[in-house]
Amino acid sequence: MQHNKRFSMEQKKARWGWIFVAPSLLFFLVFSFYPIFNAIYMSFFKKNLLSLKPPEFVGWGNYVYLSHSKTFWQSVSNTAIFTIGTFIPLVAFSLMLAAFIVSRRRFQKFFQMALYSPAALSSVVAALIWLLIFDPRGLANQTLNTLMQTSGVNYHWLSSSSMLRLSTIVVYFWKYVGYFTVVFVAGIGGIPDYLHEAALIDGADSWKDFWHITFPLLKPTTLLVSVMVMIQCLKTFSTQYLFSTSGAPTRPIDVITLNIYNTAIKDHNIGRASAMSVLLFLVMLILTWLQLRIAKTEDVTYN
Amino acid sequence: MNVTKAKASFLGKSANILIWLFLIMACVFVVTPLLFMFSASFMPAIDIMKLPYPWVSDHVHWQNYWNGLRGPDGSFIFLRNTLNSLIVALAVTATTVVLSSLCGYGLAKFRFKGRNAVFMLIMATMMIPFETIMIPLYMVSMKMGLQDSYAGLIVPFLTNAFGVFLMRQFLLTFPDEVLDAARIDGASEPRIFSHIVLPNSGPAIATLAILTFRSQWDNLLWPLLVVQSDEMKTIPLYITKFMAETHSDEGIMMAVAAMASLPMFILFFTMSKYFISTEGLHSTIKG
Repeated sequence: MQHNKRFSMEQKKARWGWIFVAPSLLFFLVFSFYPIFNAIYMSFFKKNLLSLKPPEFVGWGNYVYLSHSKTFWQSVSNTAIFTIGTFIPLVAFSLMLAAFIVSRRRFQKFFQMALYSPAALSSVVAALIWLLIFDPRGLANQTLNTLMQTSGVNYHWLSSSSMLRLSTIVVYFWKYVGYFTVVFVAGIGGIPDYLHEAALIDGADSWKDFWHITFPLLKPTTLLVSVMVMIQCLKTFSTQYLFSTSGAPTRPIDVITLNIYNTAIKDHNIGRASAMSVLLFLVMLILTWLQLRIAKTEDVTYN
Repeated sequence: MNVTKAKASFLGKSANILIWLFLIMACVFVVTPLLFMFSASFMPAIDIMKLPYPWVSDHVHWQNYWNGLRGPDGSFIFLRNTLNSLIVALAVTATTVVLSSLCGYGLAKFRFKGRNAVFMLIMATMMIPFETIMIPLYMVSMKMGLQDSYAGLIVPFLTNAFGVFLMRQFLLTFPDEVLDAARIDGASEPRIFSHIVLPNSGPAIATLAILTFRSQWDNLLWPLLVVQSDEMKTIPLYITKFMAETHSDEGIMMAVAAMASLPMFILFFTMSKYFISTEGLHSTIKG
């Protein structure tokens, strides 16, 4: 009797478990899994956004087209340049800043707050501010001219293609350097004190302490942040979109998301846009898988 | 942090000064554009383009804010767009908090067949970034007639895998005895969730709510796809359009930027605990 009652209670609980999980599960099936399969499916078809004609099967046609397409490879290389150009300085500087902040006796919270503050802005506002700073008469030219002891030199922040790429990197770096500094400060804070104490007793100075204790133990966090930043950079859209709609040349900053958007919305070519989405998805899949693997191993590092 | 003190004393004096200098310069680099936004928002456009940049104008040009609110055509559409942003961000935050905690609770505290499969399936959606599914979502929402509506802006973001993960991790540590005691007292499962689980998940919910609100406030790509009319635009769309129209008056542009950032800055300075919290960030890294 006792046993039976418990059994039915367990069953009842199991039913409630399903009821609690069901709404979210349904949502993910409809709004994540269906669309990704649909994107894969559509990437084998030729379909115009506006026409009512049924999609026409073209096999690997869209992928073959992309492999020859100059604009596609251009946007792949733009995305790669942006991602590599952003994540290396971002990770290096935020790690350095975090190590420096933790070494301070005072103002730790102040520095973190100040550096973090741009992350509170929306990316549209960030792009807008920097658009004025990069103006030929703006602060960027003024500052650089003061630093380089030149006068009136225009560095073409928004017109020469390499400077334009650099500009988008600067905006992104500016917005997120504080965010990742805070992540690293948290990572350093997670290292048990006794390890530092042991190192100090053994006669290590703070320089040695950083390189032999903090940095090795922070390696998983660093790897994880690197992959996180890479994933984010691959998805970059706002800055490039806003810079290009407000008059900067599109070609050097035509990143993959911008290309997908324009192919679908301006050229109405759903098949090609889907094929690009699928390729982006595959790259992200590999990176996310890497991220999850690192996250798993991170838990055991201090033991 | 007693170690920090010991560490600092080991540093050479000159290295110490260099580190201070570096930190201060980093702060100057980060904060200057923000100061520029506020300073320029109170200046007439002619002053902003003066060389060198004057930083403070002779007279405070409040008109920028008024003109920013009024808009180039005097329709005050900015207010309507701000309202849209608030409605969408708040609605998405509310549904995300409720659905994620429901799901996280179900996964953390109930044993049922297929639970692990469900968890893995939801985690797998983290590997599907929005950017790769926006085109199919757009076609679906067109078919369903969701364009240019609040539903169209809100529905694709009702919940997210990170939220489910965050709430599950948090609720795994929730004491079972409390739940069982409530069950013995005859409380129904929905009541236990709403009266015991939700009220005691404050920190996790706050972190999730802030992250969700911020990402919606910032959302440009999806509104760009589904919104057509000026009335349904959100703030990021308004600014995008505004930039194209009145590219000439930088003062008004910065006033609009400052007004658009205000809610996030208020949130940031009052709730910085949840922005800069070890716990929240740790789960963010792991997500």
